[in-house]
Amino acid sequence: MLAYREGDAGAFETLYKRHRGALFRFVLRSIKQSPSAEELFQEVWIRVIEARSRYSPQARFTTWLYTIAHNLLVDHWRRKGLSLVQLDEEPAVAAPDNPAKQAEARETLARLLHAIEALPAAQREAFLLHEEGGLSVAEIAAVTGAGEEAAKSRLRYAMAKLKAAVDDD
Amino acid sequence: MTEDPKISQRYRELPREEPPRHVDEAILAAARRATGARPAPLVVPVGRRRWYFPLAAAAIIVLAVAVTVQVQKEPDPEAVVPSIAASKVPADEPAVQPAPRAEPPTPPAKREVFTPDPKPAPAQERSAGAAADSRELRAQRDAAQRADLEKAQKDAVGGVRESQQAKAALRARAEAVTGAAANFAAASPEQWLQGIADLRRQGRDDEADRQLAEFRKRYPDYRISGAILEKVEKK
Repeated sequence: MLAYREGDAGAFETLYKRHRGALFRFVLRSIKQSPSAEELFQEVWIRVIEARSRYSPQARFTTWLYTIAHNLLVDHWRRKGLSLVQLDEEPAVAAPDNPAKQAEARETLARLLHAIEALPAAQREAFLLHEEGGLSVAEIAAVTGAGEEAAKSRLRYAMAKLKAAVDDD
Repeated sequence: MTEDPKISQRYRELPREEPPRHVDEAILAAARRATGARPAPLVVPVGRRRWYFPLAAAAIIVLAVAVTVQVQKEPDPEAVVPSIAASKVPADEPAVQPAPRAEPPTPPAKREVFTPDPKPAPAQERSAGAAADSRELRAQRDAAQRADLEKAQKDAVGGVRESQQAKAALRARAEAVTGAAANFAAASPEQWLQGIADLRRQGRDDEADRQLAEFRKRYPDYRISGAILEKVEKK
């Protein structure tokens, strides 16, 4: 990022290729809507480009990148009428309407995906930051602005739910 | 329990979605444009303030151009005075003084005085040998020119002396003639005719003829008697 700040466009391309997939999945699985995810993903990188002159390596680039993404997600949820408090609340998960279909889904990874989607937004975010961004609990806390304990708790709850979903098969 | 390899492994088995190509291209193009252009402003102009920046830039450019044009129009007094002084005036012609200006006299402009440097500059040191050769050649040429000039002056002095002597002789002769004529003219007609007769008798016929012609111009109506006429006319 420092090289890009000095005008090396190739450095940006390297950064982009390194983080594009993980960040895109983080955004996509956070908001679950492909068009909005593409738009928000693009907005994250535009913010990175615009903020290059103010970038200072106080933390890992990954932490900085996902902080920008988190802030845009919060804005996105606000526009949708969701509050930060609701992010920790359990969403109303629709029960599988068909037991046969549920049994089939258990055997597929789609069940895990469904379980991820069923997670509260804050827990899902903590999980995705951990899995896609490779962030530690402390980094998740820094990105989300939560305390380390809260971040650790969210991640632990997310893991427990997902484990329960995976262990079902 | 924040780490669970089993969940992570299963999660890795999920489809690995990637951003579409057009999104990649748009982002990379924006990044290249940003490095090609100037750095992003710290304060991004938004809304009504957006027009301030082009307007301010245009005003600065107009002001700069106006000041430049004004400065170019005003003559530089220091530049005018040396140019007049530097113009060549032939030594044998009177120098033409510039017309007096209606404005009050300006203080004398600073003039550059060219004095030889006590220490030659490094570049001058490099060419010192060449300059010495040049000075030597110039001195030889000057000496030859002086010798030629002295010779010419001597010749001229000799020639002048000869010509002065000839001129003196001619002047004495002319003075003698004019003196005689003046004497004749001052005398009465009879005395003038008598002088002409004397010149004729002395054999100075040219002078006698000239005096006689002069006499006849001066006294066209004077009747010279036959006896006198025989003495003054050429036989």
